[in-house]
Amino acid sequence: MRHNDELDINAYVDGELTPEERLEFLEAMRDNPELSREACELTNLKSQLQLAYANPPGLSAGATARKRSPWGAIAAGTVLLTTGLLGGWVLGTAPNHSERFVMLDAEGRGQAPATAESPETRIVVHLTNPNQAVAGELLDDVEHMLRAYQRDGQPLRVEIVSHGDGLDLLRTRLSEHQERIGKLSQAFGNLTFVACKNTIDRVEVSQGIEVNIIPEAQITGSGVNHVAKRQKEGWSYIRV
Amino acid sequence: MEYPTGKGVYPAMSEQKPSILSKFSRNRRLRQEVCDQRDRLFRLAWSWCHDQHLAEDLVQETLARGLQKLDTLREESRLGVWLTRIMANLYRDQFRKTREETGLEIDPVEDEETPERETDRSQLVQRTRDAIAALNDDQRQIVTLVDLSGFSYADAAQILDVPVGTVMSRLSRARIKLREHLERSQHVTQHKVVPLRKQ
Repeated sequence: MRHNDELDINAYVDGELTPEERLEFLEAMRDNPELSREACELTNLKSQLQLAYANPPGLSAGATARKRSPWGAIAAGTVLLTTGLLGGWVLGTAPNHSERFVMLDAEGRGQAPATAESPETRIVVHLTNPNQAVAGELLDDVEHMLRAYQRDGQPLRVEIVSHGDGLDLLRTRLSEHQERIGKLSQAFGNLTFVACKNTIDRVEVSQGIEVNIIPEAQITGSGVNHVAKRQKEGWSYIRV
Repeated sequence: MEYPTGKGVYPAMSEQKPSILSKFSRNRRLRQEVCDQRDRLFRLAWSWCHDQHLAEDLVQETLARGLQKLDTLREESRLGVWLTRIMANLYRDQFRKTREETGLEIDPVEDEETPERETDRSQLVQRTRDAIAALNDDQRQIVTLVDLSGFSYADAAQILDVPVGTVMSRLSRARIKLREHLERSQHVTQHKVVPLRKQ
């Protein structure tokens, strides 16, 4: 068989021929059973190869899940936060559609109007969710946002207020993101972490332990009051 | 604290900073799409090296680089080609070089003994993997890009940074070699499973 014929058969089975070429090839196959058999064998070979690599070792659920965890978490976070944080944000007209992210203005009516008056975007994140995977996703989002604003020369301030079950993010013994918080705090002077003193006291009394907060975090008397104050000052509010 | 459901006026932030928000949203979406490619990339990486740990490293590094460089992706519809190109470059520059330097060659795959191994299906899988292992790196990459990942010749050319003509000739040679190998192993297998000679 000539070299060009080989290339044509390959192009045919790979769907690379133009409609005219394809028609011509089909006609050639009709007159040439050998060509037809070759094309059939190559098509089988393609299927055989797909079968051979459909389930390579390591793609099994356990091993894959173990190795995938960081990426899987990112993927999960993407859905969550895109529909939540951004959904509530961009689609500010319907903040209640998101169960986990709520945006209110100073009077508790929704998107804070102050962002329109002030050139600086100010966001207070009220973290009460104990799930640190969610907190990690939040940090992903906040970091992206800080970088985007920094790159575009837009002023931005973000405060993450940990309160209630959300305090774990800032506890030295329990935080899964301590190192990252340290790096973020160092990289972005406009990002602040705030721990709720009332929550700390409550945990210490109820559990009889000493609660240590990571050094990058500031401590405020009441997380709720702090958040309320920020809202009155016109900060955008996001609850996680 | 109560969160009222009031019907206030919500000046959408998207109107104030459309570019930033749209970038943010785009990155979020693309990051998920990058992660969604993992299994496909792993199959491809494994078919190139037949080594689970190497394939895992290659895919992890590809995803990490992809996520880092998302801003440089111009056509979102080309994400698959773009990521695979990153992986092919990594394989060429690091993994393949290391393997060649250490003199390690790709081995025929040794699967664990399982009941399924006795079936025709698993024999076929094994024989096909062995035939792929017998190809050289260039041939193996091209045939898996086209047959396994379903890339067009033009995409495969872009991924491997070679002309389309080279893709076509390499692919043709690779398939000839594959078929020859499979034909030989078919005879061996038949010989093995039909030991009906009288002593």
